[in-house]
Amino acid sequence: MTWLIWRQHRTEVCVLGLLVGVFGIALLVLGTQAHDLFPGGPARCTGEAGVSDACTASFRRLDAEYGYVENLLAAFYLVPVVIGAFLGAPLLARELEEGTWQLAWTQAVPRMRWLAAKLAALAGVTVTLTALFTAVLTWFRQPFDAWEGSFQYDAFDLEGLVPVAYALFAFGVATAAGAILRRSLPAFGIAFGAFLAARMSVALLARPAYATPLTTMEPVPAGGSEDRAVADWMIEHGYADATGRRLSWTEYDDLKAAADRAGTNLNQFLHERGIQQYGVYHPADRFWTFQLTEAALFIAVAAALIGVVVWRVRRRMV
Amino acid sequence: MTAAEFALRTDGVGKRYRKGWALRDCTLALPAGGVIALAGPNGAGKTTLLRMVVGLLAPSTGTVEVLGHDVTASTPQTLSRIGFLAQDHPLYKRFTVAEMLRFGRACNLRFDQGMAERRLAKLGIPLDRRAGTLSGGQQAQVALALALAKRPELLVLDEPVASLDPLARHEFLQVLMGAVAEGGVTVLFSSHVVHELERVCDHLVVLNHGRVTLTGDIDTLLAEHRLLVGPRTATDLDRSGTVVQAVHSDRHTTLLVRDGGIPAAPGWQAQPVALEELVLAYLRRPSSGVAA
Repeated sequence: MTWLIWRQHRTEVCVLGLLVGVFGIALLVLGTQAHDLFPGGPARCTGEAGVSDACTASFRRLDAEYGYVENLLAAFYLVPVVIGAFLGAPLLARELEEGTWQLAWTQAVPRMRWLAAKLAALAGVTVTLTALFTAVLTWFRQPFDAWEGSFQYDAFDLEGLVPVAYALFAFGVATAAGAILRRSLPAFGIAFGAFLAARMSVALLARPAYATPLTTMEPVPAGGSEDRAVADWMIEHGYADATGRRLSWTEYDDLKAAADRAGTNLNQFLHERGIQQYGVYHPADRFWTFQLTEAALFIAVAAALIGVVVWRVRRRMV
Repeated sequence: MTAAEFALRTDGVGKRYRKGWALRDCTLALPAGGVIALAGPNGAGKTTLLRMVVGLLAPSTGTVEVLGHDVTASTPQTLSRIGFLAQDHPLYKRFTVAEMLRFGRACNLRFDQGMAERRLAKLGIPLDRRAGTLSGGQQAQVALALALAKRPELLVLDEPVASLDPLARHEFLQVLMGAVAEGGVTVLFSSHVVHELERVCDHLVVLNHGRVTLTGDIDTLLAEHRLLVGPRTATDLDRSGTVVQAVHSDRHTTLLVRDGGIPAAPGWQAQPVALEELVLAYLRRPSSGVAA
C-alpha cells in the first residue's frame, strides 16, 4: 500500500514539498537578516523590555525593512488550506472519476483498510508539511511577535496549532466533497470556499467568545493616554461617561466638536468632564487556550467529515 | 451439489437506489466451472448484479454467496478468490504497465507476476508504456492479465468486449477462453450482444427490467425450446406446452414453446431455436414470471 499511495500521490506531495521548501528557504534567509537586527535575540525585546531605546530602534528598522514581508505573510494562512485541499481532493474523487475504484476495491485489500491507509498517509503528509511551514513562519515572526504580540489575525492564524487544524479541515472537506462530487477540481474549490467562510465567521464571531473578555475602565488622563501592552487582543474600545455608560461614537464626536469650539486640548476637556476610556480585551497569556480551542473546533469538523467519507465508502458507493 | 460447487448463489437479491429498484428477487444457483453469460439490454441490472457479486455493492435485500462464502464480508481471502474486470476496464492511466503489475502484486495475497508478463509479452504490449497511451484493446488485455494473475476461482467481467473493435474483441475472447481451458476458473460475464454468447458460453442468465427471466444450461435450454410454425390461429395457444412467444403473420403463427414442442395438430412444424432468438423472445416478454 505504501508504494501505491506514493505512486498515486507523489505529484501532489512533490509540488507541495517544493512550495513549502521554496517559501521556507526564502523565509529563513529574510528571517536571519531580520533576527540580526536584534542583538541577543528578539525575545529580549518582548513586553515591557520593548520600550528600551535599543529595542525601539530595532523595531523601527524591522518595520521599515521587513514590514512588507509581514504584510505579505498575512495572506499565508491560506497555505495550509492549499496543502490540505490539494492532498484531500483527489483521494477518492480521482478513483471515482476514472472508474478505478472498481479496480482498487476488488483486489485483496479490503476497502476499509485501503481507505484507512490512504487517509492516514495523506493526512500525515498534510500535518507534516503544514507543521514544517508553520515552524519556519513562527520563527520568522519572532521579532514581529516581540513587538506586537501574537494575538492579531496576521499572527494567530499563522502560528501554533491553528494552521495544522486549518489544513486538516481543508483535507476533510476536500475528501468528503470529492467522494460526493466525484471530481477533484470542484472538490478543491469547495474546500477553499468552505475554509474561507468558516474561518471568516470563526475569526469574527466565535474567536472573541472563546472566553469572557476582560474590561478596563479608567478616567482619561489629562496628558493623553500612555500606550498599553499591545500583546493583548483588544476587541473593543471607546469612551464612557462618569457613570460608566458607554458613549456612542456620535456622542464622542459631539464632545470633540465642543472641545474644538472651546479651544481646549481634547484630553484635558474629556478629563475635566470625568469621561473614562474603556477597553474590552483578551490578555496575551490566553494565546494557547485560544489556539487549542480553535484547533479543536476545526479538527472536530474535519473528523466529522472524515466520518462521512468512511460511512459513504463502507455503505458502498454508486 | 454442495455449497462450494456453486460458483455463485443468490437468494432473493434486490438492490434499490434512490430512483427505484435496479434489481429484484434475483435467485440464482450457478455451477462452478465453465462460462456463464449474463445477457440483457442496457439498464437491465447487469452491472448492479455483478458489482454485488464482487462485493462492490451491498444488496438491499437477500444474500449473495460466492464460492460458498458471503461476499459482503469482504475479507482478503474472499476478495482474492474473485477477479473483476469492470466496464471499460479501468486502469491507472498514468501508471506504466509494469507499475500496474506492481499494483497487482502489492494489493493481492497471491499474484502470478510471471504469468502476467508472459501474457503481455505474447500480445506485444510493452511494460514501460503508460496505460493511458495504450489502445482500448491493449488496455482491456492489461486489465485481463491483471485479473487473471490473481489466479481467481471466479472471474467476473462486466461488458468486457462492448467497447472493443471486432479484432480486439476476437483477441480478447481468445485469451479469455484460453484461460478457461487451462481450468480452475469459472467465468461470469455480462453482455448485451447476444450472438457472441453461443460460441463461448455454457450457462445463460437473462436479465430484464431488473428481474431474472431465464436461467439454465445453454444446451438444455436449446433442447427444451422449439419453434412451432402453423396456420394462423389466435386461440388456444397453450395446448402444446408453455408458450413463451407467439408471432402472427398474415397466414402463419409462430410459437416459441418450452417443454413438449411436439406439433399438436396437423399442419404444425417444429423447428429448433437459435440462442439469439430465444434470448430475444424472453426479453420481449412482459417483465413478470421467472422461468428456471
